[in-house]
Amino acid sequence: MPRISEHVGIERKPKLGGGGPGKIPHRHGYGGGDDGDHGEPDDFLSTKDRLRRYRIGMVVTIIALSTFFAGLTVAYFLRLSVTHWDRDLQKTVRDLRPLALPYARLFVNTFILLVSGITLELSRQGLLAKSEFAAMGIAPPRFKTELPWLGITVVLGFAFLAGQIMVWNILRHQGVYFSANTRSGFFYLLTGSHAVHLAGGLLVLLWALVASSVRMRFESRQIAVEVTAWYWHFMGVLWIFIFALMHFSRG
Amino acid sequence: MRHPAPITTQTATTGLLRRYLFSTDHKTVGLQYFFLSLAAVLVGMVLSLLMRIHIVWPKAAIPFVGEIKPENYLAYLTMHGTLMVFFVLSTAPQSGFGNYFLPLQLGASEMAFPRLNMAGFWITLFAFLVLMAAFFVPGGASLAGWTQYPPLSAVASAGPGQGRGTDLWLLSIGLFCLASVLGAINFITTTLKLRAPGMTLMRMPLTCWTWFVTAILTVLAFSVLLAAAIMLLLDRNAGTSFFVPAGLVISGAAVDHHGGSPLMWQHLFWFFGHPEVYIAILPGMGMTSHLLSVFSRKPVFGYKAMVWATIGIGALGFSVWGHHMFVSGMSPYAGFAFSTLTTAIAVPSAIKTFNWLGTLWHGRIRFTVPLLFSIGFVSLFISGGLTGPMLAQPALDVYLHDTYFVVAHFHLIMAMAGVFAIFSATYFWFPKMFGRMMDQRLGALHFWITFLGAYAIFMPMHLLGAAGNPRRYSELTGVQYVAAMTPLHRFVTVAAIITIAAQFLFLVNFFWSMFKGAPAGENPWQCTTLEWRLPSPPPRHGFGDNVPVVNHGPYEYSSPGLSSQAAASDFLMQDAAANP
Repeated sequence: MPRISEHVGIERKPKLGGGGPGKIPHRHGYGGGDDGDHGEPDDFLSTKDRLRRYRIGMVVTIIALSTFFAGLTVAYFLRLSVTHWDRDLQKTVRDLRPLALPYARLFVNTFILLVSGITLELSRQGLLAKSEFAAMGIAPPRFKTELPWLGITVVLGFAFLAGQIMVWNILRHQGVYFSANTRSGFFYLLTGSHAVHLAGGLLVLLWALVASSVRMRFESRQIAVEVTAWYWHFMGVLWIFIFALMHFSRG
Repeated sequence: MRHPAPITTQTATTGLLRRYLFSTDHKTVGLQYFFLSLAAVLVGMVLSLLMRIHIVWPKAAIPFVGEIKPENYLAYLTMHGTLMVFFVLSTAPQSGFGNYFLPLQLGASEMAFPRLNMAGFWITLFAFLVLMAAFFVPGGASLAGWTQYPPLSAVASAGPGQGRGTDLWLLSIGLFCLASVLGAINFITTTLKLRAPGMTLMRMPLTCWTWFVTAILTVLAFSVLLAAAIMLLLDRNAGTSFFVPAGLVISGAAVDHHGGSPLMWQHLFWFFGHPEVYIAILPGMGMTSHLLSVFSRKPVFGYKAMVWATIGIGALGFSVWGHHMFVSGMSPYAGFAFSTLTTAIAVPSAIKTFNWLGTLWHGRIRFTVPLLFSIGFVSLFISGGLTGPMLAQPALDVYLHDTYFVVAHFHLIMAMAGVFAIFSATYFWFPKMFGRMMDQRLGALHFWITFLGAYAIFMPMHLLGAAGNPRRYSELTGVQYVAAMTPLHRFVTVAAIITIAAQFLFLVNFFWSMFKGAPAGENPWQCTTLEWRLPSPPPRHGFGDNVPVVNHGPYEYSSPGLSSQAAASDFLMQDAAANP
């Protein structure tokens, strides 16, 4: 079978086995009429099932990430309550110092991230509509609906990361380093982990963006954007949580 | 009904690298994990042998190793624990057998995310190599135990092995956490989305149930360990003070940290650490339930109760981490809460135990080697488990913590029982994986020596612990009351040497049978689950397009209806016709 650069994901009929009791077709169908070796390792289910599978995988990933950030948050609260006995003052004290956040830059970054969520959602819905057309057998025109929004999302994503680097630079110039005190350490750790995870999602979006110009199946691109959109929205909510956490505990 | 000819697509187009090394085939990935665990367990066993020899003959010069100095002993015990808990018990039952057999038992042709699966293995292998590298860096491997409590683990000047050795340890475990979570995502998605038609959740074999619950525990627990490991790495290398308090003076030099909390590490670590031991044992429990049913020719006693007990153990397992910290100075009220919850976990565990016994009761038992190891599992689980409620009481734990009593407890219930489950799974599934039977007499001999050896090694440790012998001490021969226990230590060491030597029986049996064992048919054990429909070994794409349709539960042995046919067998395959 020749490799077509844009495979439209049409529901494929299952190939039945050699008879015998119990061999009825799976209601979603199993992919392929050959030995299944298309070169795509997970190409053994129809489009809809592949999408559902990746969605569940992303939900579990988001749960894992939530636990990771929950661990960091709990650690932060624990550390905020740590005291030590001060011999001179003869009482238990906390050695916490307040954290002065550069709010202007942070609000700009937040705005950029939220807008990128909106543009990514537009892109995702465009791709979903396109895939529904494809399932009906209508091959929609290429480069329609998704590329502009996807491109804008990627640009905004990079802008957010650049903005975060600016925030860290502002803090560094004020002498607030990673190791300076409790709050600064957790601020860098939480925002840094968030940025690293966001960058990972950004790479996937970048790949989905340029993949239309190399041989990549439309179905795979749609799934990539769909699950990355969920991931991106989670990153947005997580960012708001981190921002609020650092603000309300700034001391 | 006979299965049509297998779908083999073994064209010569896929090269050696693609087929055996960088394969996305879940069976290959499963075997890769299994052999990684085998390598890890051999290293771990050698380390334990060195430790036992050192305890009894401290000045002995061992070939290739020389004299074991105290820092060596501590490094050995750290790496022994790390290798065994992570790379053996968290890898072989779940990632090894789970990857191979979960899709087959569910009637799927592949795991949900095959490339992720392959990536997970390679990250785990890399983590293993990074851990092994710790032995060869200046200072050697870490000394702080597999629990890595700060400030010892947080300050590089605190001892040999606390420099690069600990950094490598943390890097290795961080990678392992990542790989485990990736694997768990695969397991959960596969179980939820790729079951064959008719395979409802309550028709899944109990092995699939335990792999599923273990994957959920993995997702929730390992992320916390990763967070803690990152913070410890930052404390060591970036000058932060997450765990290091102010005012520390180590080796005469003041440590430049302030405001950290060593207790926080304990909380974070044990919040992971307790679910980790359930991750290590739950697949073994599923395996045991499965095998006891197969070889008693009876359904599992109380299948639904087993499912709910598994879920209960998993859920409750997150609430009991404080029982590792009774002596840390926490509030007695917190101790009371943790103690109560820990004792509560004995309830689902006991349900499982009684159900195992109920499965065996009045069964037409076939004393095969897998069954022997399953019964061994039950025995060791009970023996190790009974000391759990003892240690769960703070009043007792204050005395027994950090003694050999704890060592006996966790080795019996986790190491021995868990390893027996791995053995039983190996003997059971070897015919399916390699198309040949392992030698049964050699297997039985292996079982008896290992079983008696396990008790001979760890039962005396209860006495040692109760008498006050502390753990993680390189040499106590100079201490009067401990020196008096040396004869018992000698007994334990001799038993350990014999038991470890007996493992060669297993290795010889395993590798010899791979090439020269008696050919196994499709279903040598006469088991009902779906993997026994496929040829041995299964073809590249498993069921492929011939999706089985499941009409029966997984434990239809000796069902009353079967006697009405001219039944040649006492069991009903899961995908047999609906009304036979």
